Amino acid sequence: MSKVVDLKGSILSLTVLSLFSDQIDETKQAIAAKIDQAPDFFVGVPVVLAPQVALSDPTFLALLVEYLRQRQMIPIGVRTEDEGIKEQADYAGLAVFPVEKAKKSSKQSSEVQPETEQTGLKSALMVKGSVRSGQQIVAKDRDVIVMGSVNPGAEVVADGHVHVFGKVMGKVFAGAAGETSAKIFAKQLSPELVCIAGLYQLSEDIDPAYQKGFVEVSLQDNRLVFNTGLLG
Amino acid sequence: MSRVIVVTSGKGGVGKTTTSASISAGLALKGFKVAVIDFDVGLRNLDLIMGCERRVVYDFVNVVQGEASLNQALIRDKRIKNLYILAASQTRDKDALTQEGVEKVIEDLKADGFDFIICDSPAGIEKGAQLALYFADEAIVVTNPEVSSVRDSDRILGILQAKSKRAESGDEGIVEHLVLTRYNPSRVESGEMLSVEDVVDLLNIPLLGVIPESEQVLNASNAGEPVILDTEADAAQAYTDVVDRFLGEEKAHRFLTAEKKGLFKKLFGK
Ligand SMILES: Nc1ncnc2c1ncn2[C@@H]1O[C@H](COP(=O)(O)OP(=O)(O)O)[C@@H](O)[C@H]1O
Ligand SMILES: [Mg+2]
Repeated sequence: MSKVVDLKGSILSLTVLSLFSDQIDETKQAIAAKIDQAPDFFVGVPVVLAPQVALSDPTFLALLVEYLRQRQMIPIGVRTEDEGIKEQADYAGLAVFPVEKAKKSSKQSSEVQPETEQTGLKSALMVKGSVRSGQQIVAKDRDVIVMGSVNPGAEVVADGHVHVFGKVMGKVFAGAAGETSAKIFAKQLSPELVCIAGLYQLSEDIDPAYQKGFVEVSLQDNRLVFNTGLLG
Repeated sequence: MSRVIVVTSGKGGVGKTTTSASISAGLALKGFKVAVIDFDVGLRNLDLIMGCERRVVYDFVNVVQGEASLNQALIRDKRIKNLYILAASQTRDKDALTQEGVEKVIEDLKADGFDFIICDSPAGIEKGAQLALYFADEAIVVTNPEVSSVRDSDRILGILQAKSKRAESGDEGIVEHLVLTRYNPSRVESGEMLSVEDVVDLLNIPLLGVIPESEQVLNASNAGEPVILDTEADAAQAYTDVVDRFLGEEKAHRFLTAEKKGLFKKLFGK
C-alpha cells in the first residue's frame, strides 16, 4: 500500500501532517493507526497540515479538522500554495503557511521581541527581562541567556544552549539546528515544552520532581535527561 | 508636563473602563486637569459610566476626522471640575481612527494644559488596542485574578515594549503599573482564583493596587457615576489608594483578605 500519511516533528514543535490522499476515510484511518501507536503523544499537539495532493472534496479539510480535534490534536494551519486549498483552509478556520522555510515566521514575530543586546562577538544573545506570552526569541548560531522568565505562551529558540535565570513556563528549544550536545539550564522548569535537537517533551511528561528547583536538561541516547543535582 | 496614560488589558470585560473612569475622576478631584478618551470605537461605554451619554454631540472620531474641533467634542464633567471626557463613536467602525489623527488630538490636549490624558483601550491586541497605547508614557495594565486574563496582560506588556512610540524611538520605555481588579479574597483562599502574589510573580511589574469584587461597581455604573465617588464602597477606597500611589504616595495594600463572617452573618447567611 502506498503511503497515506506521514508525520514529521519540526523544530518549532509544530508537527507537520503530510497528506498523500484526498480520501477522508482513508486518511482518518491512517491517522487513527498512528495515534494508536502512541496515544499520549498526540494529545494537545499543534499540527500543520501539508496536503501533497489536490483536495477535490471541498469538505475535506473541514472534516479532517473536526476529526483531529476529536482526537485531541490542535490543527492550526495548512501549508500550501494551492488556491482551492487556501479557500478550504479559510472556511475551516485554519491559518495558511507559505511553503517556504520557517525563516520568515521568526522574522515576523521579531517585531514583538523584548529588548535584546546584540554584540559584535558571536557570544550569547542576552535578553534582559522576561520573554512574555506571544514573544519569540531566536538565537541563531549561538546560546541565549534570559535574565528573567520565559512566561507561558512565550518561546525561546537557540542553536546553542538555553540559560534561563528565572522560571521556564513557556517553550524552550536548544540545539534548534540539530546540535545534540546543546543543553537547557533553568532556575525552575515548569515548561509547556522543552526540546533539544528536535526531541521534545511536554510538561505533563516531565516528572514533577524535576519541576521544582534548578535543573539541567540534556540529550542522551535519544532521551531527554533531567539533572537537578548540578548545584549540589 | 502632560502624562499620557493608557489603561489596557488584552482581555475584554476585566474593568478597564471602570478603572479609567475612577482614576480620571480621582486625579481630577486632586486638582489635576484630566481628559479621558474612549478608544473603544463602536461600543461607547465610558460616557455611560461617567453619566454623560446624553450630552455627547461630537465624539473622538469626529475630531480625528476633522468634523469637529476638540473643544466642541470635549464634554465637561458635571460633578468634578477639570475633568473632561472624549466619547467614542457608536456608529463608526474602528478604522475611523488614524494614527496621525490620534496624535493630533493628544498633542492638542497637551497644548491645552491637560496634566493627564487617560486612554481607555478597547480589548484585544490588534489595531485598536495598539493605537490606544501607541502614544502612552505610562500604562496601567488591568488584570483579573484568572489565568486567561493574566496571560493576555502578559501579551499586552510585550506589545507595550515593542510597538509603542517610546519603544520605536528608543526612548525610555513605557512605565508599567498593574491594577488587579475584581479580586475576591475568599475565592482566592478556596483556590478558585489566582492570588495577588501569583499574578505579580508572573507579570513582574509594580502593583498599583487591588480592587475588590464589589456590587457597588455595578450600582455606580448604572447610576452613571465613577465608583470612586461612592466613598463608602471598598472598591472606591481601593481606587483612591490607587490614585494616591500613582501620584507617588506609599500606602499599604488593602482588601486582600476575606472578611471573617460574624456570628450574625453565620446565623442568617450571607
Ligand atoms: N471591581 C469590580 N467588581 C465588580 N464588578 C466589576 C468590577 N470592575 C468591573 N466590574 C464589572 O465588569 C464589567 C466589565 O467592566 P468594564 O470596566 O466595562 O471592563 P472593560 O472596559 O475592560 O471591558 C462591568 O459590568 C463592570 O460593572
Ligand atoms: Mg471598556
